[in-house]
Amino acid sequence: MVVGDFANEVDVLVVGGGPGGYVAAIRAAQLGKKVTLVDKAELGGVCLNRGCIPSKALIHAGDEVHKMKNSGHMGIEVDGLKINFAEMIKWKDSVVNKLTSGVGSLLKNNKVEVVQGEVYFTGENTCKVATESNSTTYQFNHCILATGSRPTEIKALPFDGDKIISSTEALNLSEVPAKLIVVGGGYIGLELGTAYAKLGAEVTVLEGMDSILPGVDPSMTRMVKRSLKKLGVEVVTGAMVQSSDKSKKGVTVTAKVKDEEKTWTADKVLVSVGRTPNTDEMGLDQAGLEVDEKGFIAHDEQMKTKNEKVFVIGDIAGQPMLAHKASYEGKVAAEVIAGEPSVVDYRAMPYVIFTDPELAYTGLTEKEAKEAGHEVAVSRFSFAANGRALSLDAADGFFQVVADKDTKQVLGAQIVGPEASSLIAEVVLAIEMGANAEDIALTIHAHPSLPETFMEAAEGIMGNAIHMVNK
Amino acid sequence: MAFEFKLPDVGEGIHEGEIVKFHVAEGDSISEDDVLAEIQTDKAVVEIPSPVTGTVKKLNGAEGEVIEVGSVLAVFDSEGDDSASSDEGEKDEPKEEEKAESKDEEETEKPAKKESGTPKAAGQDVLAMPSVRKKARELDIDINEVSGSGKNGRVTLEDVESFKDGGAKKADTSGKEASKEEAPQADEKEKKAAAPAAQDEEERIPLRGIRRTIAKRMAQSAFTAPHVTIMEEIDASELIEVRSWAKPIAEKKGIKLTYLPFVVKALTATLHQFPTLNASIDDENEEIVLKKVYNMGIATATEDGLVVPVVKNVDRKSIFTLAEEIRDVVDRTRNKKASVEDLKGSTFSITNIGSFGGQYFTPIINYPEVAIFGMGKMADRPVAVDGEVVIRPMMNVSLSIDHRLIDGDVAARFLNHVKELLENPKLLMMEMN
Repeated sequence: MVVGDFANEVDVLVVGGGPGGYVAAIRAAQLGKKVTLVDKAELGGVCLNRGCIPSKALIHAGDEVHKMKNSGHMGIEVDGLKINFAEMIKWKDSVVNKLTSGVGSLLKNNKVEVVQGEVYFTGENTCKVATESNSTTYQFNHCILATGSRPTEIKALPFDGDKIISSTEALNLSEVPAKLIVVGGGYIGLELGTAYAKLGAEVTVLEGMDSILPGVDPSMTRMVKRSLKKLGVEVVTGAMVQSSDKSKKGVTVTAKVKDEEKTWTADKVLVSVGRTPNTDEMGLDQAGLEVDEKGFIAHDEQMKTKNEKVFVIGDIAGQPMLAHKASYEGKVAAEVIAGEPSVVDYRAMPYVIFTDPELAYTGLTEKEAKEAGHEVAVSRFSFAANGRALSLDAADGFFQVVADKDTKQVLGAQIVGPEASSLIAEVVLAIEMGANAEDIALTIHAHPSLPETFMEAAEGIMGNAIHMVNK
Repeated sequence: MAFEFKLPDVGEGIHEGEIVKFHVAEGDSISEDDVLAEIQTDKAVVEIPSPVTGTVKKLNGAEGEVIEVGSVLAVFDSEGDDSASSDEGEKDEPKEEEKAESKDEEETEKPAKKESGTPKAAGQDVLAMPSVRKKARELDIDINEVSGSGKNGRVTLEDVESFKDGGAKKADTSGKEASKEEAPQADEKEKKAAAPAAQDEEERIPLRGIRRTIAKRMAQSAFTAPHVTIMEEIDASELIEVRSWAKPIAEKKGIKLTYLPFVVKALTATLHQFPTLNASIDDENEEIVLKKVYNMGIATATEDGLVVPVVKNVDRKSIFTLAEEIRDVVDRTRNKKASVEDLKGSTFSITNIGSFGGQYFTPIINYPEVAIFGMGKMADRPVAVDGEVVIRPMMNVSLSIDHRLIDGDVAARFLNHVKELLENPKLLMMEMN
């Protein structure tokens, strides 16, 4: 330490104000810790500012447009539908602002000190926080690192913030591009690609793997493929992007598809091939920390790193990179620091994808359950037999339950269809509570509603579903 | 700054301990690793070393009091350190670099640190609600070890709580239990008032610690397992010969060779042929559990009472190794240095009162095991050999069995086989594995 350099002594230093960091800060403060939260940009992190929330706003806006255009069979005929995209973006920003200012006041009410700046470690319990004008040294008893992740760049398509963009810029365009190429058919690419297709863009998705949404059960992705086709989205799988060429008109992307080079030209190229953890340029080695080849930091079940003073949560702690996983881990880390015997101990992680139709899954698939040694019972109830789904004009999809054949314990579920992202919550609860299919079947589900499909599928496991033929 | 030292978990399943003795008083200075206190759990008396060098500022609880794991046992004033609790033990020590270097060593030596370790997450096969899993962590219980009473083995809140009580049923210091405690005390007072004369005629000692465990276990065994004891005489002539031949060889290796390892070997070889004696009954699930490991409990007299340390995997160890390990674990048990690990996992036990002088006796099974072998005194006695009375060194042995699982004929054949092996140690060699 330089002479004359006074260290700010803080009890718990949280680095990163996203859904991991701010939740950890609040929980630590609730448990009586004095907490300082540092973020280099705005509170709420990627999730609130450049991820989950703004993308959901645009997706919803796209859905509304799409519905208006496609409700003729309901007798709704719309003439002269206009999209004021600038207004749409403004509305999206207002949603974001409401949430981020909410986070700010929550932190304030919990007496969390918020500091803006970038963190650089100088020792195992010291760091510098640099702003544009100065740099302050901090000494902490415990630190929770929650620095999140950023879009991964690929060599053939370096981000330029204008024509070759990441999800960040894709959420802040000034107009709907006439043509949009999405490189990467994962959930981020498909969600935004679908939204822009609904808003009128001509969208092409280039995915390197054999199928879109790699890692998701193929029975679920089938319906998404069908709906993308209906929307006029061109999906090219097995496409390895080779190079790009920018001109005044836009960008031309060359990709190899089955040994054949093909080109596409568009106004914008959205690159969504994954996310890279923000663990570089922080002086982690000075704190005695290392990252693995993917940029993640190793930790134990309490999120503690090999430096016992430092905890890591969220995207930098490993896959899956999910906001709700980060929040959960943030609470565990905060509680451990406060001396509580907390540990990462969940049964089911919900995954939700806002494509059309929505996808959601949790727990084990049929295949995984078999591999885990279960005798498996599977029951699938179609939304086409659900009154509420039909009346929503959203009857595509199904609710599939995977259970143990003997104990009927619910092991997992795969949902494709309306509000899948909300419907999955009940399954997660069922798994956490150790409920079996009979428990679900014996629980009254309101009629008419979408969750009835869970009850029906559960009854299907028991062999006594009312609204479908039992196997 | 002040350093709070919390009573570490002295072993799995132990949640509280009785303070037997403080080795320091408030105001004394103490060095790191000096004995701070002796804590008696229901399995053993354990010496608790001091985690720091410094002055003892405060001692919580009095000798004889029961203290829960995780509650503050002592507060130290340790110079130069800046943290406040043994939970953060790691950062209290490595102030100076040399200490940081020896950190690894310290970690293995100091129970304080290990025990305040990471609580365990429930395995995927544990069926319990999130709140129950949390409760288990708060009670410092590994929920994976709790057997669930609910449907499909669901672990309920009650299961977790009763597991805690069962793990250590000693007088609790928590509020709820304290009121229970008061009742008998009040009774006692009344009794004393009613019959003051009795005070001179008897002394009342609280039934605690090891004695309490012995009482509980003995009663449990006697009232659960219907005991049958059969007895046999063993001609030890050849055994004595082999042992005297091997003794000097052992001595060269620094090993004191007794008859016990031979007996252990003979029993192990016989257990291989009679698997139901190396077993237990799972009453709850109504299942017979045949053990695939051979861990020998060695009943040992200590100052505090009977303790049964365990020598593990006796089927895979040589007689020399067994001699050494038995001596080691028995010594540690007598010196109160045995870990809880040393005291669990036996599948069959031996009790040897011969060295104290008994001839025949009916040992109580070390429940939930199903049989115990008793060794009586070895002495020259007249026996009939080929129609003539001759003097032979005879050893009297007994075998108590749980008659629920083991029939009389099996027990008799088992004991005969042991007799055969011990009378013909060469045969023992043939059957060794």
